[in-house]
Amino acid sequence: MEFFRKTLDPVIALAIIAVLDIFMFLIVGAWTVGGGETMMTGLAAQAVLGEDLQRIPFWNLVFRPDPGYWKIYISLGMLFGAFVGALLSKEFYLRYPRHLSEWILITVGGLLMGFGIRLAFVCNVSTFFGLTPEMNLGGYLAISGIIAGAWVGSLIYKKILEG
Amino acid sequence: MSVVGECLVAFIFGSVVGLLVQRSRFCNTAALRDAILFKTYRNTKALLVAMMILTIGFTTFLTIGDGHPMHFDVGLNQILGLFLFGVGMVLAGACTVSTWVKTGEGNVGALWALLFTFIGMFLFSLLWSYNYWPPAPSAMTGEPNLQALQLGYSNAATLQEKYGIPAIVFGLGQTLVLFVIYRAILRKERGQSSGAASN
Repeated sequence: MEFFRKTLDPVIALAIIAVLDIFMFLIVGAWTVGGGETMMTGLAAQAVLGEDLQRIPFWNLVFRPDPGYWKIYISLGMLFGAFVGALLSKEFYLRYPRHLSEWILITVGGLLMGFGIRLAFVCNVSTFFGLTPEMNLGGYLAISGIIAGAWVGSLIYKKILEG
Repeated sequence: MSVVGECLVAFIFGSVVGLLVQRSRFCNTAALRDAILFKTYRNTKALLVAMMILTIGFTTFLTIGDGHPMHFDVGLNQILGLFLFGVGMVLAGACTVSTWVKTGEGNVGALWALLFTFIGMFLFSLLWSYNYWPPAPSAMTGEPNLQALQLGYSNAATLQEKYGIPAIVFGLGQTLVLFVIYRAILRKERGQSSGAASN
């Protein structure tokens, strides 16, 4: 099938996603990833800590672990859809970061992303595909933050690339 | 809609998104990083087109009081949080979407990034439980709260309510701004390709 042989134009892909996101906005809410990830974190923490999790107020006042939280299933769907796409286009194979420096960058980057999402209450998806198209003031604040962050991150990345 | 129905809709939506992102190699990180570092705009253009469609779609439905807009107070934490996120996504080479999509392709580095995103969230939950900032949703009033560095809640629907101008009018204004940026990128690309041809 042609679809699984050629790379799709991202403009077409994102235009389709945007139309579907409008339906999501009407049914449950706009596309978001960070909220689902936070709920998964809470559920994992509950599985490990049990009742002791209640001693951390965040998991009672902000995010009470709930497996029926719809945002979780967007992330699981993305994982499934990407797996199917990679399998059918013969692009699925295990790949690992080659150098220790890459592992360190990914570790630090992951921690910053997780911490930043919760501090902001939004992730990059909610920023570009939810808040800003709703013209929420938070979208403009978040965009100014993420552009400044990407710029600083790019400077660090460039420095590392240059050795 | 029932909880099961909501989860099913979310899963189907996510699956289509995962498939389309995997086949198009779209990356939100690249949309910002490549524009800053390499002056290439493949992903930036796609992001802008999506934002134009979404702005028209969302503000049209907000005009008639439909849809489920995000509802919480915003403030300094959005700038700080997304600043940290922006640094992190460039260092990790992936954002929230590409970590899931690349993990689905068998990328162990992306899975590692996801794991540490979760750990970062848990660490934040510990800090929040100590300083209680930003305010919990139950403590939000929708009004500015400068002591807590919060500016309240506002979007196209609240603008419509405040000024009596339909939300779609504001939406068209924003779409125009996005289109001007999109056109500037196209011009820049044409300049780059004609410069390369003359070399």
